[in-house]
Parts: sequence; C-alpha cells; structure tokens
Amino acid sequence: MKEVAIIGVGIHKFGRFENKSYLELGQEAAQMALRDANLQWKDVQMAYLSKMYLPATSGARILKPMGATGIPICDIEAACASGGIALSQAILGIQAGAFDIVMVLGTEKMPRGFMDPSMIYEKWQIQMGMDTNPSYWAMRARRHMHEYGTTDLHLAKVAFKNHKNSVHNPYAMYRKEFGIEEIMNSPLVCDPIHLLEICAPNEGSAAVILCPQEKAAQFTSKPITVAACVPTNAYYSADFRAPVDSLSAKAMNPGPTEVAAKKAYQQAGIGPQEINCFEVQDTDAFCEIEIYEQLGLCKKGEGGRLLDEGITEIGGKYPVNTSGGLISKGEPIGASHLGQVFEIVTQLRGEAGKRQVPNAKVGLAHVLGAGNNCAVTILKV
Amino acid sequence: MPQPSSNEKKQIPIKEGLFTAPLSPVERVRLMGSQCRGCSEISLGKRRTCSNCGGGNLTEVPLSRRGKLWTYTVIRHKPPGDYKGPDPFVPFGLGLVELPEGIRVLSPIQCDLERMKVGMELKMEVYPLYTDENQNEVMAFRFGPV
Repeated sequence: MKEVAIIGVGIHKFGRFENKSYLELGQEAAQMALRDANLQWKDVQMAYLSKMYLPATSGARILKPMGATGIPICDIEAACASGGIALSQAILGIQAGAFDIVMVLGTEKMPRGFMDPSMIYEKWQIQMGMDTNPSYWAMRARRHMHEYGTTDLHLAKVAFKNHKNSVHNPYAMYRKEFGIEEIMNSPLVCDPIHLLEICAPNEGSAAVILCPQEKAAQFTSKPITVAACVPTNAYYSADFRAPVDSLSAKAMNPGPTEVAAKKAYQQAGIGPQEINCFEVQDTDAFCEIEIYEQLGLCKKGEGGRLLDEGITEIGGKYPVNTSGGLISKGEPIGASHLGQVFEIVTQLRGEAGKRQVPNAKVGLAHVLGAGNNCAVTILKV
Repeated sequence: MPQPSSNEKKQIPIKEGLFTAPLSPVERVRLMGSQCRGCSEISLGKRRTCSNCGGGNLTEVPLSRRGKLWTYTVIRHKPPGDYKGPDPFVPFGLGLVELPEGIRVLSPIQCDLERMKVGMELKMEVYPLYTDENQNEVMAFRFGPV
C-alpha cells in the first residue's frame, strides 16, 4: 500500500473564544497548516472537516471563503473519534490515487456545560436521569477499583500529570498545575470522578495536510509518515459508553481500543514498546488508566502501577499526554484527534520545547467516545 | 359509560416494550428482555434483531426482579435535559444491575448513597415517574435494597 505522509499541521488554541466564530477558528488552523506545508489553499485537492456540534456544510462554510477552488469538501462525524475517521478517509483517497494533497480540518465550537443529551440518548433515558455523560466513565472506574484495587489516588495522579504537562503547551486551555490534594478535594461530579479529573467541552481547531510519501520532500524537510490509522466501532457489549441501556454479562469481546490498537500495531509493524509518546482519550482520569492496559502498555488491572512508577510521565518509558491531554486542553470534539496528531508531529519534529520527549521517533494518538467510536493513529519520523 | 374517576389514572410505560403487561399490579411487572434463538444473548426491551449476531429470531423473556449491583456511581448534579425526577433535585445512585439471565441493566438505584456497594442484592420496583399531559401515569423502574 502507498505510504502517506503528513507535510503540514496547524492549530488554533483550544479554549473559549466568545468573540470568534467557528469560521475564524477553522480558517486560522487551516492557514497555519498550509504555511507549514509551504502550500496555498488552491493546491489542496480534497478537504474533510471533522466536527460534531457545528451545523451542516460547515466544512464548505469555513474553507470556501479561502477561495472557491471547486474541490470536494465533506463533513465527517463519529463523535470523539471524528478526526480519526476523517484522517483515514483522506489516507484512503491518497492511497487510491484519487488525490495527492488532502486537508483534514477539525473544528468545534460547543455550548457550555453538559452536552445536549437528545443528541445521544433516547427520551426515556433522559427522563429517568441516565444521561449524565461522566456517569458512564465513573461506573467503569468503580468496577476497575473493585476488581483490581485501583484507587482515588491513581485517578488524581493522572490529572496531576496532565495538568502539569499542559503548563508548557501554549495551545492548551487551562495551563495550570494543580496539587494532588487540590484535585482530590475538588467537587465530585460522579463518584469517584472529581471536577479536576474530567475534560471540558470547548472550542478550537486543528488541521493536517497529507500527500503521498514519495512526494513529501517537495513540500517539507520534516515529513512525518502515517504508519497506521485505524478507526473502529466496538464489538457487541465490548464498551460501556453512552448511550447504553444494558450490557451482556456473558459476552467477552475485546474493547474497541484493544481492537484498533492491535490492528494499528500490525499495520505499522510497530509494537507499543517501540513507541516514544502517546496522546490518548483522557475524557476522565480513569479512562487514561484503562487505555494504558488496552494499548498494551501493561497487563490488565496494572494501569495504576504505571502511575505509581512514573512510567507515563515525560521522562518515563511511555510518556502519555505530553500536551496536557483533554483534561487540560478541553475537548473540542471534532478537533480533538487532529489536535493529538498536531502534538505528536510536534514531538517527532523535536519542536515541543519544555515538554519535548527526548529523541521521539514514533508516536500514537487515540480517541474513543459516544456510540463506541474509536480510532488509533501511529506516526513515525 | 362511567368516566374513570381522577384517582384511577391510566398507566403507560416510559418506553414501549420495556415491561411485561399488564402494568398493574406493579408488584408483578417485570422488565422485558429479547433473547436471540441463534446466539442466546439477551437485550433489554422488545427488539427485532439481535445486536450480537444480527439474527432476527427473538423471543420475549421476562427478566428477574432481583439482581446484584455490578458497578455504580452517584449523580451529584441535576441531569441535563427533561429529567422527571424530584424537583428540587436530590442526588441519586445509578448502577448496572446484573440479573441471573446474563444481562446487566442500567438503572437508578434507590438506596442510602453511603451504603451502595458492588455485589449488594437488589430488587426492582416499577413506579409512576410523572403524570403526562393526558393525565397518564408514566411508569419507570429502579432498583433498591432487598
């Protein structure tokens, strides 16, 4: 299969921007990616917009004002994994020989507070009060604690690490360090998850430009190869995430992260031991612990140990969420995976400043969300 | 024909196919499952296809009223949207209840929040959650300690 490279990346800071429309957020990220790739908008042959909460035809609304070049522009949605699907579509188009230069843009501008439940849940689930998103994450955490002895302190350590990393990321929302005590004393949202242990929906944008690997040198001296990009949806009863009304107590299918990671490792010919930096879906602090296990960074039930031993800190064997993760960046859903890709590309280029992982050559980005959508992308120098 | 008196409200399920019929007396109502004749997996409520194997040959199976708490959380803030629980809001338990048929059902847990524990024995209760605009009592379910 034809190899595909990333030749440009761009980002608009994640956060809250009262006086900016989503058009501006998206255009700024797109223009930054074009400059990074030494390209102009007229050179792009196909564009995808990854989004969940923006209105219909947002891709065309954002990009067409940069020049009505007549190229196809398509919006893609798969909840938190939207960016993974959009990226995989771009790669397929290049591999098929249909396009040489493709832009994948992720943009979001979400309402404040809890997300509108009618977009995810049925009416009766909302009426009975079973539509608080963090409750699903919390129930998984509680079960993991029961089965493996994971503790409140382990959860707090995830939040501590990610908030600490974000201080050095100019594109993160919070950029503030919090003490373990402060995290554990922040209000409970859904037991055992505290306010400083979950991510906020917000606004932001990120963009990636891709081309066939053999042409990448024309545009950049630092191309990054896409070693794998695997979107997936969970097998039967294999993931407890909204909107679920029940689960099988008998089915034993592997979770979507496990499935996507396994495929991605196979495609890339790279195992987790050879990966230098990870950006993963820390929608809540517990989620990151479970993902350590499902990505194969440790055995099932041992996620907490990785935190106790500092293995997932910058400087550890498996640095996770060097950007600060969603806990510090916030989650502008459609932009989320592309923001992770931005971080990994920055790391692999050696341009991450104080949060740089020394000598990073391979990185992995992972997203997982509503409807059991998931994606794993592996990038290498 | 005599009009039903105001204290004899009609009872309707919060979701069609979720409960066994009739809805009265409530002590005898059970959650309804759909069991696939192909793979034997059970889903909650009335279904046309099995979400495990895609099979179309399903039979209705009334589910046990008793189960064990498999995991839980506490909803500390009023849920978003058209929540029909107590106003002003009262924090409540939410959990997955494992039933002997091999299914874990997501349900509100009516219980002292400090006493909720994985493995605790629970029984189901069907109760009127709210009265709709046609004066029907809309029946929902929850689990609580045995």
